[in-house]
Amino acid sequence: MIRNAFSRALVAGRAGFLQVAPQSASVAGCRHMSKVAESDEQLTARYVQYFESKDIDHWWLSKHINDLAGTDAVPEPDIIKACLHACRRLNDIAMAVRFMEIVHFKCGNRVKEIYPYVLQEVGPTLNELGIPTPEELGMDKPQLALEDVYDM
Amino acid sequence: MEHASEFVTMASFAVGSVVRRCGRLAGGAARLSTSARALGGDGMPAIIERHGKREVIGYGYNGQPNYIDRVDYPIPAVRFKEETPQIKALREKEKGDWKNLTKEEVQELYRATFCRTFAEIQAPTGEWKLALGGTLIACSLAIWVYIWMKLFVYDKMPATITDPQRVEAQVQRMIDLRMNPVQGVASNWDYEKGQWKN
Repeated sequence: MIRNAFSRALVAGRAGFLQVAPQSASVAGCRHMSKVAESDEQLTARYVQYFESKDIDHWWLSKHINDLAGTDAVPEPDIIKACLHACRRLNDIAMAVRFMEIVHFKCGNRVKEIYPYVLQEVGPTLNELGIPTPEELGMDKPQLALEDVYDM
Repeated sequence: MEHASEFVTMASFAVGSVVRRCGRLAGGAARLSTSARALGGDGMPAIIERHGKREVIGYGYNGQPNYIDRVDYPIPAVRFKEETPQIKALREKEKGDWKNLTKEEVQELYRATFCRTFAEIQAPTGEWKLALGGTLIACSLAIWVYIWMKLFVYDKMPATITDPQRVEAQVQRMIDLRMNPVQGVASNWDYEKGQWKN
């Protein structure tokens, strides 16, 4: 609530040049100086709440996805579903496919155990929203090659 | 002028997210908002932005509206491609049911926002062959230099090393003097039997 109200203040541009302090900008991000460690369920609940907020915009979607990509964990299926629905609300299928790639990447070297489970849990949502998985699009193998700047 | 822009750049890290979003909502496009209210200064743009007409979609990894493929910051600050009429038409179609999009259209929308897929970012580059080959070439050059030194620079070894009679006499002297009796030469000689230990 506080976060949404604050972000609206930012949007309206009412915050003056020097009044925006750095710590306020990160009120919705990770708590770097907090001594209380967050449990997995709390983290899951927090991110589900972020993605389920009705007025989410691309900026917050990017921020939360990047934060998730920075955590040392595979996102829970609940978070994945909430994120896919958020992409749907923003009409951005590229983000949804990218997010599935991120989930695949976060599985690390245990991808063969974890990713099938994730697909099993999230599959109904993917079918409901009509999002192809990266494998279906052929993106699990390289498709295009980017010329190295040192070879140009 | 330099200092002013530096000051604004430093402070704009904190404000960067504010000004980006102001700029995006006000202009709908890329240019940094130059309104005095947004900058709080004299209205001069603090940062030259080079992302053209590409839509800003987030904070990115450092707050600048740049594009980079990183597996640890997967969603960059701007989309990859500028909006062309084809992409605009696809975006309109995207607002409807995604089941109506063909696989090619999904791929095109993806490539409009992202340059490389994760598979392409992580694809092997073959750079190890250059590194290993270069290292081994350097090693072989070093060995060639050593051979040249041995042939053309160093003097011949003195007779005290090459002559077997002299070497034998020196070793006998070491045994007689009991040099290095604990771990060295004399420790390998069996003094009771008068022969080398085995």
